[in-house]
Amino acid sequence: MTVRREAVIGALALLVVASLAMVWAGTNPLNGFAALLHGSLGGYHQISETLVQTTALLFPSLAVAFAFRAGLFNIGAEGQLIAGGLCAGLVGASFIAPGPLAVVAILCAGALGGAFWGAIAGGLRARYGGNEVIATLMLNILAVLLANYLVSGPLHAPGSEGSETASLPHSSWLAVLAPETRLTIALPIALALAVFLKFVLTRTVFGYELRAAGVAPAAAVRAGIDLRRMALTAMTISGGIAGLGGATIVAGVLHRFNVALSPGYGFIAIAVALVGDLDPLWIILASFVFGILQVGSLAMQAFAHVPKDTVTFVEGLAILGLAARRFVAARAAAAA
Amino acid sequence: MAAFVAFAGLALVKSTPLIFAALAGVMCERSGILNIALEGALTVGAFAAVCVAFATGSPLLGLAAGVLAGALLCGVLGVAATRFGVDQIVAGTGLNLMAAGGTAFGIAVVFGVPGASPEVPALGARGEIALIVLAFACALGFQFALDRTPWGLRLRACGENPRAVASAGVDPRRVRLIATILGGALAGLGGVYLSLGELDLYSDGMTAGRGFIALAAVIFGRWTPLGATGAALAFGALSALQFILQRSGVPSELMQALPYLAALAALTGIVGRARAPKADGVSL
Repeated sequence: MTVRREAVIGALALLVVASLAMVWAGTNPLNGFAALLHGSLGGYHQISETLVQTTALLFPSLAVAFAFRAGLFNIGAEGQLIAGGLCAGLVGASFIAPGPLAVVAILCAGALGGAFWGAIAGGLRARYGGNEVIATLMLNILAVLLANYLVSGPLHAPGSEGSETASLPHSSWLAVLAPETRLTIALPIALALAVFLKFVLTRTVFGYELRAAGVAPAAAVRAGIDLRRMALTAMTISGGIAGLGGATIVAGVLHRFNVALSPGYGFIAIAVALVGDLDPLWIILASFVFGILQVGSLAMQAFAHVPKDTVTFVEGLAILGLAARRFVAARAAAAA
Repeated sequence: MAAFVAFAGLALVKSTPLIFAALAGVMCERSGILNIALEGALTVGAFAAVCVAFATGSPLLGLAAGVLAGALLCGVLGVAATRFGVDQIVAGTGLNLMAAGGTAFGIAVVFGVPGASPEVPALGARGEIALIVLAFACALGFQFALDRTPWGLRLRACGENPRAVASAGVDPRRVRLIATILGGALAGLGGVYLSLGELDLYSDGMTAGRGFIALAAVIFGRWTPLGATGAALAFGALSALQFILQRSGVPSELMQALPYLAALAALTGIVGRARAPKADGVSL
């Protein structure tokens, strides 16, 4: 069974599951899918909103894939994204500077915040051999708690009802790409980052060492690669990428930090990274597909009365199926 | 005195689901399966219990359904990890998403309104106390079985050196699968306690990360049933304390953060030696 055939079968299986869910919810699946596609691709505003979600997913997905390639399970992209967004929001609301300078400062603050959050997990792994899965799980929740505490207490925007910081001055918002949309230069930044990461992973010594550490750690050690240092470096960079994503949501979409800035982008990112086969360029395409689901599921709920959570379920199933992929491939190879 | 009794009672209530989930975590991890789908198992356990209690009017059938749902969810993880060579963490992440999406979908479809179920026949005060006692009984029984029975020896060996188990003629994949299913049943029981013991309904997000606190309790309790139970009690007491200190100015987020900070500290080994089973999370 070739990879392509396998992908088609997998996608069809997910469509069948989604259809069954729609039937159970009392909707004709054709209507459900029509609502999903129309809501996400059916016009100027729909497409731009899908691209906004594509961007929001692309950053954490690249982050997850980068760590995975180093053999590290960063399931903490969610926390790193929030930590980055928090730092970006704080700097953005308090740092007064001319527009472009402020934007750069906000994005750097986000990347640094995320990198710090990632470095905690990487450091625990490098220094004490602590499991990065457990560490990032805990750090996810700690990021939410810290953000909750700060923005509902000491840093709460005066007069605001929500748990959020004060608004960013208009001059430090990310430039909008298409008029009357929320689509900003965050998208080209994310695309450029994907190309850059692809280059780093495949064409540089560092990228080679990183992949070696992930694929064959024992051989990497013999080749003189310091696995501990690699764990710290990879987690820090991974966190920085996710944090930058959080900053672009703050400076481009919400124009302030709000504790609810992510509907679980960091978790969906794991599915996106796997669908994109951990390859930064394929992840661009995968993010677009998941962006469609993200926007379309809301339309599906509103117009076809299918709970949007159907999509979450199918995404989880996709992760499970993709994880079993290697087994299917190996068995096919054995049979051939 | 009365205040202390109220506090102790609340601490027990808050601890019980954590104890069930933490015991589930110990069982899986000692066999070599790092089960991060405990959160999902709590969720489906709580949800299935309410659905069946709603449909049949019997909270006991609901309890059985919750246990079964937890066992089934973790069983999928066990089969995926032991038969299909699937990475445990990736599978666990997928199952957690499926549990969250599936229950939110189910709430909307089964009860017609999203967010929460109506009130259903619950276990009542006696049933709640029975579950609390059961949690401690499970902890004692599990600790005994782990230390003193052939099954316990095999379980521990699977987590440390599965090859040695295989060379002794026992299939380590089978031991792991059974441990994961049993663990899922325990976590399901924790979910049942949340929805039919402490309350009488299911609402979205009611597990509130308890599956992850349980993982912290496993580490802090050094991968032993009684240790994890102690950690779960401490974390439960912290969350009870939160209610008491609500108006004292201590930020509630700090109290909520303590279990997770404790887990990070335990990972460093600074607070005493804590070592995970050698083959924890290592697929066969």
